[in-house]
Amino acid sequence: METTIHTTDHMKSEQRRSRWAKFKKDLWLYILLFPGLVYFIIFKYLPMWGVVIAFQDYSPFLGVFGSKWVGFEHFRNFFNNPDFFRLLRNTLILAVYDLVFFFPAPIIAALMLNEIRVGIFKRIVQTAIYVPHFISMVIVASMTYVFLTTNGGVINELVYMITGQKINFLGDPAWFRPLIIMQIMWKETGWGTIIFLAALSSVDVEQYEAAIVDGATRWQRLWYITLPAISSTIVILLILRLGNFLDTGFEQIFLMTNSLNRSVADVFDTYVYFVGITQGAFSYSTAVGLFKSVVGIILIYGSNYFAKKLGHEGII
Amino acid sequence: MKGKKWPRPFVALLIAAMMVILAACSGGSGSDAGSNPPSGHTGGTDTDSQAPSEQKGEPLKLSIMVPAFSTELPDKSSPVWQRLEEYTHTDLEIIWTPNSSYSDKLNITLASGELPTIINVGKEPSVISAVRNGAFWEVGPYLKDYPNLSQANEIVLNNTSIDGKIYGVYRARTLGRMGVTYNMVWLENLGLEPAKTIDEFYDILWQFTYNDPDRNGKDDTYGMTVTKYTGPWDIMQVWFGAPNKWGEDENGKLIPDFMTPEYREALKFFRKIYEEGLVNEDFAVMDPAVWNDPFINGESGVFVDVADNARRLNNSMQDKEPRDKPYTGVFQAPVGPKGHRDLPTSGWSGMFVISKSKVKTEEELRRVLEFLDRLNDVEMKLLLGYGIEGRHYDLVDGYVVPRDLDASLKKEIEGFNQLLMFLGEPEPGYEETEINQMINEVWEANEAIVVGNPAEPLVSEVYGRVGQQLDNIIGDARIQYIVGQINDEEFDAAIDLWMRSGGEEYIQEINELYEAAKAH
Repeated sequence: METTIHTTDHMKSEQRRSRWAKFKKDLWLYILLFPGLVYFIIFKYLPMWGVVIAFQDYSPFLGVFGSKWVGFEHFRNFFNNPDFFRLLRNTLILAVYDLVFFFPAPIIAALMLNEIRVGIFKRIVQTAIYVPHFISMVIVASMTYVFLTTNGGVINELVYMITGQKINFLGDPAWFRPLIIMQIMWKETGWGTIIFLAALSSVDVEQYEAAIVDGATRWQRLWYITLPAISSTIVILLILRLGNFLDTGFEQIFLMTNSLNRSVADVFDTYVYFVGITQGAFSYSTAVGLFKSVVGIILIYGSNYFAKKLGHEGII
Repeated sequence: MKGKKWPRPFVALLIAAMMVILAACSGGSGSDAGSNPPSGHTGGTDTDSQAPSEQKGEPLKLSIMVPAFSTELPDKSSPVWQRLEEYTHTDLEIIWTPNSSYSDKLNITLASGELPTIINVGKEPSVISAVRNGAFWEVGPYLKDYPNLSQANEIVLNNTSIDGKIYGVYRARTLGRMGVTYNMVWLENLGLEPAKTIDEFYDILWQFTYNDPDRNGKDDTYGMTVTKYTGPWDIMQVWFGAPNKWGEDENGKLIPDFMTPEYREALKFFRKIYEEGLVNEDFAVMDPAVWNDPFINGESGVFVDVADNARRLNNSMQDKEPRDKPYTGVFQAPVGPKGHRDLPTSGWSGMFVISKSKVKTEEELRRVLEFLDRLNDVEMKLLLGYGIEGRHYDLVDGYVVPRDLDASLKKEIEGFNQLLMFLGEPEPGYEETEINQMINEVWEANEAIVVGNPAEPLVSEVYGRVGQQLDNIIGDARIQYIVGQINDEEFDAAIDLWMRSGGEEYIQEINELYEAAKAH
């Protein structure tokens, strides 16, 4: 008896001590974490208080504390604005295009790269498709102009030789969205493959060998081994992507907008710029930006919930 | 064991604490360095030197933000910079901002509240709201005390005023500055004369496009280059009789230019020259940064903009292949159906406003104004405009003859001309070369035919709020009409949309302000 009592007591204090011991053991990890924590607090959390200007009539010369409080007025104005539905529509369509056409692109590219057995060729292709990621959007936009302009653009000359007609890629509103998506695909597909290639490298080679012995075809191996192996990665990236669903990227849209395609090119991001910066309506544009973020949070939680329901790992 | 282990977390905590302090410090000192010490500093020097006009004590610390048109900009090692600081007794920081992104940078600077001492601004909505929030000094009452600044033109001052008050010293520009630059070689090849009427102007465009003006046997030229920048359309529509932004209707009420029938006539002409290929097909998407290229490369032969472009375009073409005679010529606006008319500039290109956050007291303000006044001395005008005599230019018979400068010498003088206000006594100019003579003639003749904008001095509340959206509606519709995407009914619909989006209020407000100003 005595010994058992003694042991439970001992175990309790042992547990407490082991927690402390654990902390002590990982102490340096905590310390390494610390600067990151400070960074997040200073640069990510503190500026968040700035959103209060969405509920004020903010003037930079009066400051956050001197400006008048107006509550939800800016939000009401925004939802009642005739621009709202046009902006929402443009943003949503671009976001859906992005999800449908761009999101699967790196996955397909990674799967294709994975099937290549010649190491050197694979590496060359990989590097070649990373490169556009490092080119600034401004350059991409000027390159697009040089290639596609109706006044001597290379591609339009080619189109003209074949069909006898020129296509106004840059001015025709119908071409705006495909152009945007194609630019993103060209620029970011290669970069996006990195994570999927990493996930693919963790697939056990024995599984493939066993499948080959069983007589599985390439497609079957892809379908039953490779895809299930990276499905959790795909789901996590999809959830993260949905969180930024309404982020269409300001720079790119701004650079590609002109008088002829503005009807389809106006999105929340550029609207915030035009109204907030060029017209000085800081509070109003902050309200618009905040609305976008709220939609993002809802989408993250929503998609995370469904992912878990479907038996995948979520991120929260 | 314990004794040995304790110091480690302790040290770690210490390091962590130091990191927090460091982070906090760097955050704080960053903003401090931006604002407090310099202004405190100038305040200190100011109280030291009792009489601000006397050059003693420490030099005045100043920062000034101006647009830049070059990427090769000088630094403090430039002798021009040194002489400028010496002459004005200042410690000068010049913030050159690329012209293409100037308004963005300006808006962001205004939003941040961290302003340089002196900023070059126009009358953008963001500037107006900053003025109303008391960001800048009202300098109007002080100008009379300075020999050069006091010579500012009343009409132009009125144009720069905001709510009837003068907040800045404007940078003067020739009022009738516009002109049509053409390729002289082409015109001679075709045996044509500079256009006197719009029909002749059209003929030049047509022949430049279809009659092989460069005589190379290939169909590789077109009439005129236009870009996303709508300036050329704005100029040409005035030839047709459209008002300069605002005009009076039959009842004496102000209406915007695009509601006049003359505007529509001009639009039809633009559409015609576009359809016939006399204008580059991709103008609606072309970057203004490469506007000069087709003209210089001999692809197009007409350039509607400021007349002095003739000199710049000629210089670029001479650089490529020297020629004894100039490559370019310039003529005045052709006569249209409503007589001889041309678009003026507003007589100013930006004004220097003085920030209240940097300049705290009236004495300091006076020192800054004195600096601006000194920049208008003839010595300074020569220095800022042409550089140093005997190094960058020579004075021959009272004319400035620029030297051939290599890249490093050129860099020494680049950008300083943006500090010029051209007030006070005029400085010596370039000698009368053929091109300069043509430009000066056009400028002088223009004085008689420029059409003023009656609403220029008026500051509209509505425009400040929704101006950008309003401008976009009509601006887009105009371009769409020219390229044939929309017809007359759809253009009318755009005007309707403009009216509903705040335009109606805008017209009403402008008319009220106009009546009030007239009664005044």
